[in-house]
Order: sequence, then C-alpha cells, then structure tokens
Amino acid sequence: MAPPSSSDSSSDHLPEALLKTLGLAVLERVGTGDTFRLIGNPPLWWATTFKTSPESPIAVGPLAPFLQHFLDESETAWRDNHDRVVRSGPWSHRDLTSILHQFEATALTASHRALLLIERIDERFDSIQQLLQQARDQRLHHIDQVKTHERTQTSLTGSLAIATQERDDLLALLQHLDLAAIVTNQEGRVTFASPRCLAWIECPSTTVIGQPWEQSLPIDSADRKQLRQAWKAAVPQRSRHSIRFAGTTPRWIDYEIHEDPQSSERRIILLHDRTEVHHLRQQLNHQMQFHDLVGRSPAMLQIYQLVRDVARVDSTVLIEGETGTGKELIARAIHYSSPRKDRPFIAANCAGLTDSLLGSQLFGHKRGAFTGAIDDHHGLFESADGGTLFLDEIGDIPTSVQTSLLRVLQEKEITRLGETHPRKVNVRILAATHHNLNEDVIRGTFRADLLYRIRVARIHLPPLRDRRDDIPLLAQTLLGQVCAATGKAITDLHPDSLHLLMTYSWPGNVRELKSAVEFAVISARVACLMPSDFPEELRHTQRDHRPPSSQESQHAEPKAQLLKALQQAQGNRTEAAKILGISRATLYRRLLAHHIDVAE
Amino acid sequence: MIQKKICLLGGFAVGKTSLVRRFVTGMFSELYQTTIGVTIEKKTLLVGDQDVTLMIWDLYGKDDFQNMRESYLRGSSGYILVADGMRRSTLDTAEALHQLAQSTLGPVPFVLIVNKADQLKEWEIDEATLARLRHKGWLVFTGSAKTGDGVPELFVQLAQKLLEAA
Ligand SMILES: Nc1nc2c(ncn2[C@@H]2O[C@H](COP(=O)(O)OP(=O)(O)OP(=O)(O)O)[C@@H](O)[C@H]2O)c(=O)[nH]1
Ligand SMILES: [Mg+2]
Repeated sequence: MAPPSSSDSSSDHLPEALLKTLGLAVLERVGTGDTFRLIGNPPLWWATTFKTSPESPIAVGPLAPFLQHFLDESETAWRDNHDRVVRSGPWSHRDLTSILHQFEATALTASHRALLLIERIDERFDSIQQLLQQARDQRLHHIDQVKTHERTQTSLTGSLAIATQERDDLLALLQHLDLAAIVTNQEGRVTFASPRCLAWIECPSTTVIGQPWEQSLPIDSADRKQLRQAWKAAVPQRSRHSIRFAGTTPRWIDYEIHEDPQSSERRIILLHDRTEVHHLRQQLNHQMQFHDLVGRSPAMLQIYQLVRDVARVDSTVLIEGETGTGKELIARAIHYSSPRKDRPFIAANCAGLTDSLLGSQLFGHKRGAFTGAIDDHHGLFESADGGTLFLDEIGDIPTSVQTSLLRVLQEKEITRLGETHPRKVNVRILAATHHNLNEDVIRGTFRADLLYRIRVARIHLPPLRDRRDDIPLLAQTLLGQVCAATGKAITDLHPDSLHLLMTYSWPGNVRELKSAVEFAVISARVACLMPSDFPEELRHTQRDHRPPSSQESQHAEPKAQLLKALQQAQGNRTEAAKILGISRATLYRRLLAHHIDVAE
Repeated sequence: MIQKKICLLGGFAVGKTSLVRRFVTGMFSELYQTTIGVTIEKKTLLVGDQDVTLMIWDLYGKDDFQNMRESYLRGSSGYILVADGMRRSTLDTAEALHQLAQSTLGPVPFVLIVNKADQLKEWEIDEATLARLRHKGWLVFTGSAKTGDGVPELFVQLAQKLLEAA
C-alpha cells in the first residue's frame, strides 16, 4: 500500500487512474506556448494516432489542424478565466493508418495548471451520428413527400381544370345543339343532369340527383312506362314518338338512350326539344286535314274556316255540292266542332222515301198510325235531341214532310204521326243537297219558306276537278286508309298514276276517287300503284281539261258567261238558256242576280 | 508556401462533403452520411505561379438540430456557400450563413455554388434569382458534385480571390 503523499506527483495518482479508465489523453501546458507534456500514460489510441515520444514535450498544434485552431480558442480558459471550460465539439482525424476517427478536446485550468484533454469519441459519436442521420433522412424524406404531393396536386389541379374545361365545352355544345342530357348509374338513378335539362323539368339539381331518372321527369304514366322500358332495352334507343313534359312551358321531347362509353352500365340520355316541330306538324295537319276532310287548296281552307264559324252558332246550314264531294263530312265537322259535339249526330237520307215513311222516320209514330206501325216509335228528331240532325238530299223531301219540317224549325217541337200533342225538341238541323234548291222553288217542288229557314248559312263544296291540287294529298290519304283497312302494304303512287288521277274529271268526286283507289289497291301486284291498276274508265274516258260545264256548276256563272250566251243568242233568252244548258227560269233568276237588264 | 483556411457553409445535405470529396479525391457517393462536427481536408493547388494549400473545413450542415459554431469560422480567409438547387430554402440558409460569416470574419472573399446541377429539371431556384445575387456582386456557380461540373473552378476561383485579397 502506498503511503499518503502531499506531493504534486503523488496527488496525480487518483485522477490519472480515472482518466485512464475514461480513455482520455491529458496534457499539461508547458509555459505559455503550444508545448505540452502528457500526464501519465496516454490511452492506447494515442500511439496509433500521433507520432510523439512519451517523454519529451509535445508541440500540439502540428498534431492536427483542428487542434491548432483549438489552441487559439482555448487561450481564454488558460489565461484569462480559470473557471472556463472550452469544448471543441466533435472533429475528425485520420489515424496513422488513414482511418477516420472522431475526437473531442477540452481546455480547462485545474490547480493553476493549464490542461488539455483529448478524447476519442468514436462510440459516443456513432450513436449521435445515427440519431442525427435519422432525423435528417426523415427531414429529406418529408421534403420529398411534400414535393411529390405538391406535384400531384399541381397535376390534379391541371387535370381538374382540363376536365372542367371539357365539361364546360360539352355543356356549351349541348346548349348549342339544343340538347339536354342526363347520365344515370346502373340502377337508373340520375348522376348528372345538364342545366338545360334542369330548366326543362323546372327542378333544382339537388332534387333530381340520385332519383330514378324517369321519375324526375314531369311526364304522364304512359310516357314513364315507355321510358322505363326503353331504358331497360338494349341501347342505343330512340323515342318512337315525342313525350310530353308538363310545366309552365309544356314541351314535346324526343329522347335517345346511349351507353356511356366509359362504363357500359351507365346510360346517357339525350333530350331534344321538339316542341316547335310538334307545333308546326300540328299546324300542318290542321291545314291539310280538318276533321276527316282532306285538302289544303285555298277553297278547302276557306271551307274549314266557314265550318269553324258556323260551328260556333246554332243556325241551320245548307251544304251544297255535287254528289261525292263529302257533304256529310262537312256536317260531321260542324257538329264535332260545335258545343253539341258530345250529343248525338244523326244522319238521315231523305231521298227515295215516301211521305209516311220519311215522316215516321223523322218524327216517330204512334202504334197504328199507319199500316205496319205496330209499335210506338220515336223518330230521329227525338234521337238527336240536344245534338245535330243531318238531312241529306233535302231537295228530295216530299211536300207534306217539308211542311212538318218547317213547323219543327219554327216551333222547335215535333208531333209523332198519329199523335196530337207536340213534343219539345232541341235539335240543330244541317241539310245538304246536290240540287239547285232555287230552281226547285221556282219549279214549285220545294217550299220557299223552308229554303229560307234552312239556308241561314250555306257552304258550297267545290267539285274535285275544281281543286285538283288536293288530288295527290287525297289519293295518298285514301291509299293509307284503304291499306289500313285491307292490310295491304302499298305505300306509293307511280307518277304516271298520279298524272292519271290529276287529269281525270271525277264526276263522282272524292267518293269516286276513293273507289278508284280501292280498286287499284285490290288490283295492285307491287308496292306501288301503277296506272294499269286503276279502273278502265279513268284511262279511257276523254281527259277533262275544260272548265266545269255550266250544267255541273250549281252556282251562278260569272256575269261574262251570261252576257256571252245572251250575245250568241242575240238576246233570245230561251236560246241563251239552251246554250248555257239551264232552264229559262234559272237564266232569268241569274240575270236578275247579276243585275243584267232582263227586259226583252 | 501559402496555406489558407476556407469553410464550406450551407444547409444540411446540400452536398458540402460531396463537393470537398469530389475536389480532393475525385470521388462521389450517392449515400448520404451527415457530417457531425468538423472534418478538415487539405489540398494544394497552383494558382498562377503559386502553390496554395487550402485547408478545407467541411462543416456540418445548419439546421434545427445543429447550429453553426462561430468559432469554427475563425481564421478563415474565405468561404464557400453551398445551396441545393432542388430546395429553394437552402438558398435562404446560405444567405443567413453568409450574414453570420460576414459578421464574424468581416468582408472576406466567398463564392456561392448551387449544387446538383445534374438535376436541373427538379430545380426550384431559377436563373432570375441567381441573376439577382450576381447583381449584388456575388460570385455564383452552378455545378454538380456528382458529375464534377463546376467543382474545380469553384475552388480555383476562391483561391484566386484569396490571393487577390491578401
Ligand atoms: N444528384 C446529386 N446528388 C448530390 C450531389 N451532391 C451531393 N449529392 C447527394 O446529396 C446528399 C448529401 O450530400 P452531402 O455531401 O453529404 O451533403 P452535406 O452538405 O455534406 O450534408 P451535411 O453534412 O448533412 O450537411 C448525398 O446523398 C449526396 O449523394 C450532386 O451534385 N448531385
Ligand atoms: Mg457533410
């Protein structure tokens, strides 16, 4: 055991051992320069790091450039402030075999001795290094992530801008094409509705998105059913007829259902507003056809207007026109455009019936009123009560019936044959004739007072040859009707056939045209009616190019014609009547009507 | 023989160690090993007709974990500021370190290198920014420790300036 010692060297023992355990090299400054001496034995690493002899003083500066620098920094700790400890922080230095090691130096003053401690901190350093490396790696990774994120965001923003632009372009295109669009998912629920579509259905998108598409449209149940079926069927689908959107502005809409090219389960429904077309078509139909009347010649358009006018009032109308011109159709048109349209329309043909038969047919009879009257019977007037009675061929009514008819018109009541008490009836009379009733009046076969009662308003139907422009339309319409009735699929008229129809004189008017078409349809071998399919007489009778003959004309000839005939007959009225093919009485009346001096 | 201390200053991972290694040993590594404390490398180069030994202090990068120790700067004749072209913020760090160096060392010569020029497409620092710095009188390089582009010029130019200043 070593004796306790008060000397400097013996007091070194404990710290020296301590320092050795810690792996520190301890150097004491010799004087005030850069020269130091090692205290005790240096750690093992010293010899492999620095070339120094342990006994002689060591110039520390040249050992390592960092130490050179550190000596300057340490000066304060040694000279000025003895309490100060200066630490170098880590620095690296290669050993004699060029391996890099980490060191740390500390300068301090202890017991008035300037000390320099040098420590190799490899292990401690490694753990610090690892920690810091991790922190910095993480920081770099984070920066990288942020960058990637920003880049993705930029590219997404770009894509979004492009997508938005494309969407806007598409909407503009739809707008331009007057189209609205709906996109549905596989369940048929709306995932997109274009602004135009929303405007049409008058709903905000919030109430439409997610709804079954056909339910979000303001349509009736039949249209809805049609749409549902179309959506389920194989696409593409197109509407067969327009569907009607209800709303403040009702619209007629055609639709097309397509598969979404991006996803076969989704559908794109395009809607076209066809309201304008619909209206135009309606107008055109209206112009071409009025009730069952066909024709758009000026004469017919005028007649349609006249029908509308007389339909509004309740007056009796006399419909004049050649046989087959469609007088009954006019009567029906008047009835069905009048306020009586929901009450009966009854047509009676007055031609060829005896007094009693016609009387009983019109007014009814009591049992036993005449031979064969085995039961009480109400007449057509009573059947037509509240409605319209159409008396065809009124010019053929026997005089006795004319008298009864006149009373009905005056009193608005009828008396059944064999009865005495009258019955009130509310019937509108429409009458038709192919006669010239004026002449009948003059001849004495028709009561003048009845004529005036009947002829409150009159409609004259022109013969077909006077409205040849309507022949193509009529022929086509009749062809359609006949084909529908017979089940034959004939769609066209050969141009030569049309020419034939256009040049024929049609004495039997539309009725004759209709039977000619029926005949042709039955004879036809191909889907187009050929001239040879039509009846012989059309092809062989003389073409009618002349103006309607005076006999056919039921109306007064133009004044010039009358004057010409008079001139030809040198003023002889019997002769002039012969030239014109009319009776002397008729000529006389017409001369009066045209204010032609009738004095002989 | 003239010996000069210079420091490399810049944010972490900008490539200070890589630039020094490229200059001193001609090598490059993709592996990032952060520098802790100080590593000093020595290289002698001929400037004009003079040999100049540069004591190159590769200092640790400045960030939240490690701050710059002013004492390391002491005795520097000049410094190299390093920024990473791919990180705009490293230029701000370089400018801050420049302020610190100036206040510690006074107006000594320095150069700036914006490193990683091999990744120009990824750069966040544009020509206009560099032009603004040049306009302030800075000597600005762009280069790459990876390819070696601009690296020798960087050191030679600084060495020249050091001699001019001396
Ligand atoms: N692409 C590319 N990478 C480089 C370049 N220079 C350095 N690097 C890489 O950047 C990372 C950091 O390089 P270091 O040289 O360690 O950077 P430092 O500035 O010393 O970093 P600290 O010591 O942490 O401050 C490493 O992964 C290098 O491989 C270069 O010019 N181009
Ligand atoms: Mg480094």
